[in-house]
Amino acid sequence: MTGPIGSRSSSSSRTGSRSTGGLDNPAARIMFRRVGGVVCALLIWELFSETGVINKSALPTPQATAVAFVHNLSGLGRGALGTLDAWGLGLLAASVFGVAIGVVVGRSRVADSLTETLVRMMRPLPSLALIPIAILIAGLGLKMTAGLVSFAAFWPIFINTRVGVRQIDNLILETGRMLGMGRLELIRKVVIPAALPMIATGVQVAISLALVVTVSVELVGGTGGLGQFVLVAQQGGATATMYAGIILGGMLGWALSMGYSRIVDHWIPWRSRGQVTTS
Amino acid sequence: MSTVALGWVGILILAAAWQILAILLHKSVFPTFVAAIAAAYHIVTGPALRTDILPSVERTAVGFLISSLLGVGVGMLVGHYRAVQQWTATVIDFLRSLPTPLLVPVAIVVFGLNGKMVVATIISAAIWPVLINTANGTAEIEPTMMDTANVFGLRGRKLFLKVILPAASPQIFAGLRIALSVSLAIMVVAEILGGSSGIGYYISNAQQSFDIVGSYGGVIVLGLLGWVFDTLFLAFERRLLSWQRGTVGGFIDG
Repeated sequence: MTGPIGSRSSSSSRTGSRSTGGLDNPAARIMFRRVGGVVCALLIWELFSETGVINKSALPTPQATAVAFVHNLSGLGRGALGTLDAWGLGLLAASVFGVAIGVVVGRSRVADSLTETLVRMMRPLPSLALIPIAILIAGLGLKMTAGLVSFAAFWPIFINTRVGVRQIDNLILETGRMLGMGRLELIRKVVIPAALPMIATGVQVAISLALVVTVSVELVGGTGGLGQFVLVAQQGGATATMYAGIILGGMLGWALSMGYSRIVDHWIPWRSRGQVTTS
Repeated sequence: MSTVALGWVGILILAAAWQILAILLHKSVFPTFVAAIAAAYHIVTGPALRTDILPSVERTAVGFLISSLLGVGVGMLVGHYRAVQQWTATVIDFLRSLPTPLLVPVAIVVFGLNGKMVVATIISAAIWPVLINTANGTAEIEPTMMDTANVFGLRGRKLFLKVILPAASPQIFAGLRIALSVSLAIMVVAEILGGSSGIGYYISNAQQSFDIVGSYGGVIVLGLLGWVFDTLFLAFERRLLSWQRGTVGGFIDG
């Protein structure tokens, strides 16, 4: 949820057309600035912590955090795996149901109208508010976490699939029918590939949303994973360990969204073309 | 039947299915639709309106406004100056991928269990969609427009407020809309985890004291709140961006 606009990394869209700054920046200089930015951020962190602008018990130094990171490697690893487990399960279920229902609804005018208001009402409802109710219904455990994650991640995938399917050019569908494709074949070979760029964007939103929900459930319910790791560290007063968990959470989120956009760029090369026609 | 009418039929079908299923299952953790609606009505008309709902609305609004101002301001700088973009790219990418609820324990350590903690957590999450969209919108402004501004000698604050801000506003508003729903979601989590008041606190407190219908009611109230926020926002956007309709369509599609 941190960046549903995540389809575009803040860096990739800047392809020139700016008159300020040097026009032909060598790659080395960009690299230097990016690394330099991280170093600066760490220095500012250090400064805040050392000078006590923020209470040192609330903000340990980067070094202390690094030490805590190394000391808790196994705990962090187990936490990350636990989070990934629930995240992956939930996302998988959400993708299957989101795409399947999205295709059906997008292809049928009646189903589309029937769900329109429902979607408009459900979209602003934060799934995170359902955590207490999910705990009531399913108890604390992987099943509940994955269930809630899939519920939350379902919506962006479903909504994007529905729009993607609705926007398919009738000409393409007619052509498919003329070539003698049956209903299922048409969906498998024409509808889904044509909607894939939109679906991919929905999944991208779902990936970060699912991570937020997973971590939240772990924080609220103490059901393992990174969320519980951070919570336990905070309750035990091990602030540096808590920060180590947060840093790992950030790296996890980053790796997942970066990895995903790499995969999408590689496997759905017609994606950029699709986006142009849908905008 | 019209599309809108069919939409409401869809809601009715869902409500009926919920009601029938709840009666058939007859489980205490799954109250009927009517009972949940009644609980929601009870919340809105009872003392919880003052003690929980209004504080939540206030925190969401304050967090959202601060995120908007910071996000638009920093976003324009990041989008306009290439050097700023390059220096901040990695840090921004990292911070916005961080699942924000992890920061709630930090906010609790720093601010304690109160409304300030909730607002701080909201800002840490809601600033990113605004910042990223503003930066993208700024970076994608037609070069001709920027050159024209240059020729007219617009510089500094004037350039940002008179040229960049309006030109990037469609993208900015898209980011703001996302930030609004993010604010609402993070508000709830923060209140569930460490609130002493608010709608999130109400929902989780109702669950812990086995007032199950109450926690369903809280969720419904929250859903309505989200809907109202979104509707108000869209109305506001339409109003503010009305000058754009038709005038800049060509340049957005490029």
